[in-house]
Formats: sequence, structure tokens, C-alpha cells
Amino acid sequence: MLPTVVFFTLFVGGPILFAIGLSFTNWGGFGAATFTGSTNYTRMFNDPVAQRAFVVTILFALATTVLQTVIPLVVAVLINFIWKGLSVVVRTILFIPAIVSFVVSGVLWKLIYDPNIGTLNQMLKAIGLGNLAQPWLSNPATVLPSILVVSLWGALGLNMLIFFAGIQGVDPTLYEAAQVDGANRVQQFFYITIPGLRVITAIVVALNLMNGFKVFDIIYVMTGGGPSHASDVFGTYLYTLAFGSTSGSIPQLGYASAFSVVVMVLCGIAVIFQIGLARRANR
Amino acid sequence: MTTTSVAPQVTPPVARARGRRTHRAPLGKSFVAFILIAISALTIFPLVWLILTSLREQNTIFNGPFIPKQITFKAYSNAWTSTDFGLHFGNSARITVATVLGVLVFSTLAGYAFAKLRFPFKNVIYVVLLATLMMPATALIIPLYLELKKLGLLNSQAGLILLYVSGSAPFAMFLMRAFFETLPDELVQAARIDGAGEFAIFWRVILPLARPGIAVVVIFQFLSTWNEFLYANTILQNTGSLPLQPILFSLMGQYQTDWPMLTAGLTMSIVPVILVYVWMQRQFVAGLTLGAVKN
Repeated sequence: MLPTVVFFTLFVGGPILFAIGLSFTNWGGFGAATFTGSTNYTRMFNDPVAQRAFVVTILFALATTVLQTVIPLVVAVLINFIWKGLSVVVRTILFIPAIVSFVVSGVLWKLIYDPNIGTLNQMLKAIGLGNLAQPWLSNPATVLPSILVVSLWGALGLNMLIFFAGIQGVDPTLYEAAQVDGANRVQQFFYITIPGLRVITAIVVALNLMNGFKVFDIIYVMTGGGPSHASDVFGTYLYTLAFGSTSGSIPQLGYASAFSVVVMVLCGIAVIFQIGLARRANR
Repeated sequence: MTTTSVAPQVTPPVARARGRRTHRAPLGKSFVAFILIAISALTIFPLVWLILTSLREQNTIFNGPFIPKQITFKAYSNAWTSTDFGLHFGNSARITVATVLGVLVFSTLAGYAFAKLRFPFKNVIYVVLLATLMMPATALIIPLYLELKKLGLLNSQAGLILLYVSGSAPFAMFLMRAFFETLPDELVQAARIDGAGEFAIFWRVILPLARPGIAVVVIFQFLSTWNEFLYANTILQNTGSLPLQPILFSLMGQYQTDWPMLTAGLTMSIVPVILVYVWMQRQFVAGLTLGAVKN
């Protein structure tokens, strides 16, 4: 008990305060840190890359939240509807990407998206859609949708299972009553399943929002934030600022910490949002 | 529409009354099944492709048929030797085992304390620990990096394990507490009356009963540690001490065109995870869903 608390203060609580403190300095990693007030934050507001990363982070979080909530929900309802044996097989398969690391899935999909020899372009050519073939990850217009697909691929199985478990908890007599009243499947979905899954949906939405705000691995592995910052999010940009490989440049730890603080605030908002949703759903 | 699937035995009169609808039921079911099979095929396709590519001859990856005519395991032995795969695999295994053990010790003890003991500021401490669950790794990486540097633990596996354990223990504790709370208080009281000390109660009475919970924590922790990339890539700089994920990442740059080798490396790295998944699927799913929901 006590050790956990001590550990926690040392490696979580402390760093949070440390990051907030750092964000008000211009520290480069050694020597003394100079207090520079809110300079980093003003700089952030005027940094076009940061503005772009902010927009991309928000867009990415919203898009993943919508996609990774609606599609798994629909798939879970469909799975609940088919024969039991097949349902087990489908659930097992859809879940497999959830256990693969983001590095593996990122590299794997990068090969699939490869502009010259990637499987996606080759297949498009094979079915006569060769004019759609393109450098998916180095075209600023397609890079984010391409990453969204990979994110959905990884998240579908897990979110689907959460919804599937939730559907098992919906009172079956409600469906019987609805049938007696002549409600069709679609009506049952909108008037029984969705209201019955309010709490679960709130959880999945908050989870997706949070994961969207803190996304790092998948983008770092697939594009490193490129092409020319088109897929840079806060996570990847702050990492480049602090640990970036631009040879010999001083790590901008102070400035990068300002981004850490913003990411924390965003995640905090997602949590408050979830608590609010859960409260409303419970009422 | 397919009214029969929810509770067929309860509603025969209704079903009969809508003969036309029930007639269409199997068709609707088959159609949904077809869609789901298509989605499953799309989902599994990249992984099948991964394995098939790793079995190809280097000169057939770009023009050969989808299913290779000849398979070869050459890429596997190539990947194993030229990347020192065994070493990094061992690093991953060591770091993962140490982390899982560390997390287990802290989470069971703290979970028990929160579930069954009374002490000052219990709720405050609990809420603060919970709040850390939402902290993203990217937000903490800079201060943690500096902190380890100060402690002289930068570039050491011990430092990395320390970060993993402290970062994951709160969540595991949360899970364990939920499990301990399902155990009746009378158990603890009876043992106390029999004169058992607090630790003996924990070790002999509570822990053996919490096995299902422990299984979930172990699996969740195994998976997240094995797959972790950001901390491992940042804290460790000495190639020899790196676990698999950063190595796989660096392979992408080194062997850009040797796809059989690249995919063989990726395949080898997911084998242990897939094995554990197949072996303990139930706990796995429980662990991940719980993990997701509670996070």
C-alpha cells in the first residue's frame, strides 16, 4: 500500500508537476533553467506547426471516436444476431488485431500502403482501379484517412466486444414486448438497444476520445508526422521537439513540456466528459 | 424481418401470425452472416499477407501470386541472425516478466489494503491514484526521462521496469481491489479471530481466492508491456539492451526492401502474444475489455 503511494508520487504525481513547471522555462536539458513565464504558450499559439498539430489532434480524436464507436456498435449488434458458432469465430478473428502492437501494425500497414509495390495499390491496379492508386502515406490528403483505417482495424474488435457484452445485459423481455407491439429490427435497435447501452456507449466514447488525444505510436511509426507535418499530432510533435533527431539541435524540453500540459488538459476534459455522460445515463 | 432470433421459443404465436416475416428470417440471417464473414476476412487479411510475405523468396514478393508457389523459411533464419533477434527477444521477455511480477506485488497488496483495511486518507489516496490512469505517456515522458537521468537509471532496463511498474500498478490495483471486494469480510474476520496476522491473512486466505483476478492482471500486463514502444524507445539507447518493439521499428529503416525478412521479424514478435491469446482466450478478453472500460 504505502510503497504504491510512494512510487506513484515519484513517477506520476511528481512528473506531472515537473512538466507543468518545465513548460514555463526554456530549459534545454542541462545547465540552469530560466523562468520565461508564458513564453512557451505564446510561442505555441503562433507556431504554425503547433496550430496544425492541434487541429489534426482534435480531428483525429473526433474521427476515431465516431468511427470506432458507431462501427463496433453496429458490428456487435449484427454478431448478436447470427448463429452462435459463427459468432464465436467472428469475435475471435475481429479481436486479433487488438493484441498486435502498434509498431507491428504500423510497419505492416506501411508495407501495404507502399506507393510502388504495396499490396493496396497492386490490388487496385488488378481490379482496374489503377487510377486510384497513390502514395497513401506521403499524400497530405490521404495520410490521415489511411491512418484512421489502421486505427479502426486495431480498435474494432475490442470496442465490439465491450458493446457485445453490454448487449447481453439488455433485458430480453424488452425485445419480446417490442415484437408483440410490432416493432421491427431497426426500431428495436434505436428504441431498445441504443438506450440500453447508454452507459457502455459513454465509456467507449470517452475511451476513444482519450486514446485519440494521446495518439502517438501509430502515427510515429507510420509517418513520423509527415509528410511535412500533415499527420503531426501533439504527441508526435512534442516528441520530436524533445527527443527529435535533428542533429546537434538543443532539445526544446521547455517548449515540448507546454504540449504535454495541453495533452493532459485534453485528457482531463475527456474524463470530465465521461463522468458527465455516465451521470446523465444513470439518471 | 427476423423476429425469431431473440427468443424463438417464447413467441411462436407472434411468429406464426407473421408467417411472411419468419419466412425471410434465415435469409436475413445469412445476409448478416455474409457481411460479418466479409468483415472478418478483411480484418485478418493483413495478417495472412504478413505471414505469406515472410515465406516468400525475396525475388517473388513484388510479382508473384498471392499465395507463394514455393515457401521458404530462409527469411526467418536471416531475421534471427542479422538482427540479433534472440537477444532482443530475451530482453523483451525479461523486462515483461519483471514488470508483471512487480505490478502483481504492488497491486495485490494495495488492492487488498483498499478493499479490506482501514487507514487514514484512504479515499483521498485512492482517488488520486485513479486520476493517474488518464495520464497519457506522451505527457509524462519528458519529466520521467529527466528524473531517470537524475537517478542514474537512464539507459538501464531497471529504470524502464521501474517506469512500467509505477505506471501500471494503479490500474492493476484498481482491478484487484474490485476482485477482493467480492470476497466476504467474514473471511478476514474469522482468520483474525483465529489469531492470524494481517500478512498471513492476505497470503494464505485472500490471495488463493483471487486467482481469477490475478490471471486477468497478468495477461493485461504481459500484453501491454510486451507491446510498449514509447518508453522503451526513449529510455534505452544502448542497442544491446533494447526490447523487441524499438528493434522492429528500426528494422523498417534498415531493411526497407527486404520484405520477407521484415515480415519474418514482425511475425516472430507476435508469436508469443498469439500463443498466449489462443491458450487463455477467456482471461485475455476479460482483461482487455476490463482494462479498456476501467481506463
